[in-house]
Amino acid sequence: MTDDNQIIPAIRENAERGFRLLMAEYKEPVYWHIRRLVVSHADAQDATQETFVRIFRSFSQYNGEGTFKAWIFRIATNEALRLLGRNQGKTTLSLDETAPALLTIKADNYMDYSDVEAVKLQKAILALPAKQQLAFNLRYYDDLSYKEIAAITDSTEATVKANYHFAKEKIIKYMNSNEI
Amino acid sequence: MEQNYDFNNIGKKMPYTVPDGFFDQLEEQVMNEVKAEPAQKKSAKTIRIAIRTLLAVAACIALFLVVKKTLPQDSDATIDDFTSVELAFNNLSTEDQDYLLEVYQEEEELIIDNDLNEWKNEESI
Repeated sequence: MTDDNQIIPAIRENAERGFRLLMAEYKEPVYWHIRRLVVSHADAQDATQETFVRIFRSFSQYNGEGTFKAWIFRIATNEALRLLGRNQGKTTLSLDETAPALLTIKADNYMDYSDVEAVKLQKAILALPAKQQLAFNLRYYDDLSYKEIAAITDSTEATVKANYHFAKEKIIKYMNSNEI
Repeated sequence: MEQNYDFNNIGKKMPYTVPDGFFDQLEEQVMNEVKAEPAQKKSAKTIRIAIRTLLAVAACIALFLVVKKTLPQDSDATIDDFTSVELAFNNLSTEDQDYLLEVYQEEEELIIDNDLNEWKNEESI
């Protein structure tokens, strides 16, 4: 595992070598973060690729405010929301909306339907508005702090905490229900 | 609210999968794209600069020839450089005047852009 404090100077010193370090550290977390939002593997692949190209292009704009991880996840989140919005004929998906990704959960080749509980959890998450999905996913799967999530979603820590709480309650309710 | 669902049962497990070797391929695709990008931009910019420089040089030669042809043979010593260029410019057709001004402005903008970029680079350092 490479620390961000090693990655950032490495990119400044040698862009290609540093960027390889960044990819090694972040390609999987970024892909899975996007995949949880867009569901389809093909869409997640496109958005992940675009995310890293954007990171490369705008690296000089990272000014050290907030964590590097939050900066990267912010770009990834924006890319995923842009893709979801584009699929609906819009520029981007609003954080108050629920993405229609739920409909595609049964239409992707790269899905293990045999794990019923895992599928059900993802369905529960996907039924949430985007802001609650993000609060839950970034906290539960990516172990980000409320402060980092607030920076990613242009929000406040208090709002993120509330969104996480509501998301968890709704998910628990869904998981305890008989819905499949 | 019910609290009897235990997230520890499922942990971070997800139903999503990826093709074999996907992450290695992804890294290579991204690296190829970002490596190709600055080179492409540079070559397009170089071509643009070369064309503009060529046009500017051609315009200067044309202006020089016009000046030489327009001025009387014995006036070289009495008319200063600016006046001679102005006189020659006035003798050109409107189209030629517009063309020269356009080339001159493009060249000037390019110089300003380059100066600004240099200044930005110095600022960022």
